[in-house]
Amino acid sequence: MTRTEMDSFRIPLFFSRSETSTEANRTGNWCFVRPSYRDRTAPCSEACPCGTDIPRVETLAAKGLHAEAWRTILMENPLPATCGRVCFHPCEKACNRGELDEAISVNALERFIAEAAQAGGAATAPDRAGGGAEAIGRGKPTGKKVAVIGSGPAGLSAACFLARLGHDCEIFESADEAGGLLRWGIPEYRLPGPVLAREVKAIEGLGVKIRCGEGRDLSYPFKDKGYAAVVVACGQARALGLGVPGEELAKDGLDFLRETRRETRATGAAVATRAAQAASAGGAAPDARVAVIGGGNSAIDVARTLVRLGQKPLIVYRRRREDMPAFTQEVERALAEGVELLELEAPLALARDAKGIRLSLQEMRSGEPGPDGRRRVEAVKGSTSDLLVSAVYAAIGAEAEAPYEAAMQAAGALTLGRSRLVPGPLALAFTGDLTTKDKSVSDAIASGKEAALALDVLFREGADAVEARLAACRIGAGPSLSMELYLGGERSKRDGKVVHAADLNTAYFPRAARTVPHVARPAVAAGSFAEAEPGFDAAEALAEAGRCMSCATCNDCDNCRTFCPEVAVKVQDGGRDINADYCKGCGVCVEECPRGAMVMGAEETKR
Amino acid sequence: MKKVLEGSQAVAHAVQLARTKVISAYPITPQTHIVEELAKFCADGTLDGQFICVESEHSAMASVIGASSGGVRTFTASSSHGLALMHEMLHWASGARLPIVMAEVNRALGPGWNLWMDQTDSLAQRDTGWIQLYCEDGQEALDTTLEAFLLAEIVNLPVMVVLDAFFLSHTYEPVDLPEQEEVDRFLPPFSPKFRLDTEHPCGMHEMSQPPVYMEMRKSIQAAMETVPEVLAKVDADFASIFGRHYGPVEAVDCDDADVILVMAGTTASTCRELVRELRAKGEKVGLLKLRMFRPFPVAAIRESLAKAKKVAVVDRNNSAGAGGIFAQEIRSALCNCGKRPEVYSYVAGLGGRDITTKTLEGIYRMTLEAAEPGLESRWVEIDEELALS
Repeated sequence: MTRTEMDSFRIPLFFSRSETSTEANRTGNWCFVRPSYRDRTAPCSEACPCGTDIPRVETLAAKGLHAEAWRTILMENPLPATCGRVCFHPCEKACNRGELDEAISVNALERFIAEAAQAGGAATAPDRAGGGAEAIGRGKPTGKKVAVIGSGPAGLSAACFLARLGHDCEIFESADEAGGLLRWGIPEYRLPGPVLAREVKAIEGLGVKIRCGEGRDLSYPFKDKGYAAVVVACGQARALGLGVPGEELAKDGLDFLRETRRETRATGAAVATRAAQAASAGGAAPDARVAVIGGGNSAIDVARTLVRLGQKPLIVYRRRREDMPAFTQEVERALAEGVELLELEAPLALARDAKGIRLSLQEMRSGEPGPDGRRRVEAVKGSTSDLLVSAVYAAIGAEAEAPYEAAMQAAGALTLGRSRLVPGPLALAFTGDLTTKDKSVSDAIASGKEAALALDVLFREGADAVEARLAACRIGAGPSLSMELYLGGERSKRDGKVVHAADLNTAYFPRAARTVPHVARPAVAAGSFAEAEPGFDAAEALAEAGRCMSCATCNDCDNCRTFCPEVAVKVQDGGRDINADYCKGCGVCVEECPRGAMVMGAEETKR
Repeated sequence: MKKVLEGSQAVAHAVQLARTKVISAYPITPQTHIVEELAKFCADGTLDGQFICVESEHSAMASVIGASSGGVRTFTASSSHGLALMHEMLHWASGARLPIVMAEVNRALGPGWNLWMDQTDSLAQRDTGWIQLYCEDGQEALDTTLEAFLLAEIVNLPVMVVLDAFFLSHTYEPVDLPEQEEVDRFLPPFSPKFRLDTEHPCGMHEMSQPPVYMEMRKSIQAAMETVPEVLAKVDADFASIFGRHYGPVEAVDCDDADVILVMAGTTASTCRELVRELRAKGEKVGLLKLRMFRPFPVAAIRESLAKAKKVAVVDRNNSAGAGGIFAQEIRSALCNCGKRPEVYSYVAGLGGRDITTKTLEGIYRMTLEAAEPGLESRWVEIDEELALS
């Protein structure tokens, strides 16, 4: 039917409709509470030692904007590709989505974003145009010279942030290559050498000089050489002895990891050959078991490395499996690859035997929790045993190679969240494993960042200003700090209040299963030093980033505008504004905001 | 193109071909297949429309009222308890003069929890100001849905397309699925006579006091009165493109009939069979199929029934205390005619009970043999002992 034909019928159509515009009715004057947009803080970013703006990272990743997402991570953490592999991701434990279905795979996404951005040519150094320079930038040169002892995660981080703040930075590294624990203590299958090398190179791109083969300690005349400060980031590279008779028979686990890394670097073939030889010899004989003493990540790394060399490692730990400081996932993988675990056994003595080493063990029992919350263990009287092994590796902890205790306790020292600052004509900052409670890569990076910010405040405003200035950069309750907040970026407009699952309108988030990266079958993984996880592909990453609820931060979903009964929400220049002339304070927008990025407040009514 | 489709799918295809922009519905058996199919079309992009999920039928109707007020073509579907829950919003849709189309699948109301065929749910909404069209088969369901959009948009009143539960909603039949180009020729894009406009805000449907309210109601009544004429044109246009014609009622062998059976929905198909058989034996019997119930096509009914001696109305519904609803309406339609047939009222086939040719023949015989209609509706094929226990 044509329009004319349709209109030819005379249809009465009388209903009530105002003749004047309802704009005359300023419903805004009904209001006694007013909504406003207020981005707050997501629990994941508070839990991240580096204070990474995770909701923003995932929002960008969900739009396929990998370079922007990568730069957002780089703002707070110079080593995303590294952390995307080795971080123990406390963010995932804090993730609000975990209360709805399952946490976001933040860690695997971090790795994907870093790789996708680098593959996409988003620049290799964070200081290049397009590589983060606009957002991150290098501060104006301050003329201050800072030395960093050690090029592990804490040292690299401190140097990177110091350089970004305009200070001249030199790293002194005793080994022939940079990376510290990342280079020598973490096996190739967890962190491939080239991944680390790329990120180290990017930091050098900021003008940081890394002087390998030039180990230093505080006896070096830094002050005379014109340095204003020294960041001590030497880590703990010397393994602790077992402290039992025959301890000299045990090999140092860290040394073993270092040697293996050196071999895998050389060719990768040498190691493979040794593994093949072991296999062709009919596998390891039952008494060819090797013992690894310890329950931390190093013990796991040693054991999994031994598996790859054709050995049959047995981890001997004095407490229970659930008490192990090693990451649960690492323990699970080790066991899946064939590592055995002997719980509640402590070494009593080591003795050479015709067939190998006789390891005498004392059975332990788990007792009451101690003041630190961990259960104490005590010996079960008379219950000892012997174990015949071909070798023993000690991985029970480490200490710094040079003693810094006295220097750290100097008068006027400030204890910060993850570092310690000693002001003076030559300021000292102690970082990394020397000062962090949790000895993790991410904590070390956070510690280096904290030291850099502390030194910057010290140089510019003096020692008295340090604590207050750092407190203002805390994410949520801290101790994680944000560089973006320090620089007064967009993120500093956010409220520090952490938004929890109860603050969200979860009706907008249909349940969706967590995407986890594929893992190589343990039998395959155990036969090679190649990286066991291929990581996300683009489609998986997009799907997983899309699950992020973007807690506490507006992601332009436009629910507020859609639901406003007064059409009072206006979108201008990409931002949203509430027209106070018509907002009657009903609160529908706040209620329908899925992510808790709006608040109602009475104070807003004062006009 | 002929396709074997379920009645529900036939409706869904019509909604898709009508390029409907907003669909909102809440699932309820036996209507669910319609909106499931439409949700699929929206999801796979074969329908460029928005499917709004809601938490109740009341909200479904509220959503399409909002969307229709915004000036787009809308559709919803419901049944039984769901329709009952929409009741308040049904009045709003017609009072606001919105051309919403709804598929309503006739299902019994509980308790006596029952999913099956019964007309009481839609007939209980007869005073809400909706046009009601009842369908006999899958083809008619598809065609009526397409016609409903055009009719609604011309007269600015909502239309309910009514289908029998299961007998029609869940039965597969060969259906001629029209081409998009033909449908576009029949049904132009929706061009609203008024709509909400945030650039020029005004108050709609605000407080209406005694000096104007009655005029608004009269406006609805007057619009309803144009429907027979508009439907005639819509039917004619439809026939010219698709070759099928329906009308507000269909009279089968009524001209010389002594007894005419009157009914709506799929029962009409059963009755066609009976009329053929009885006519072959020389009995003077006819069928009047009611397609339109609101507005009630009084003129067409009078014209079809006037010459008969007796009319037997078969109601698959009951207004407790007053009997079959179609029968009441037929009686009042004939009441003021000079010469009029006796009207016999029968209640049959409630809550999904079958009505067979045997049932209808029984009704025919009873009517033929009765001396007078009596005051009450007669309930057929009923277990009196159980009912009155």
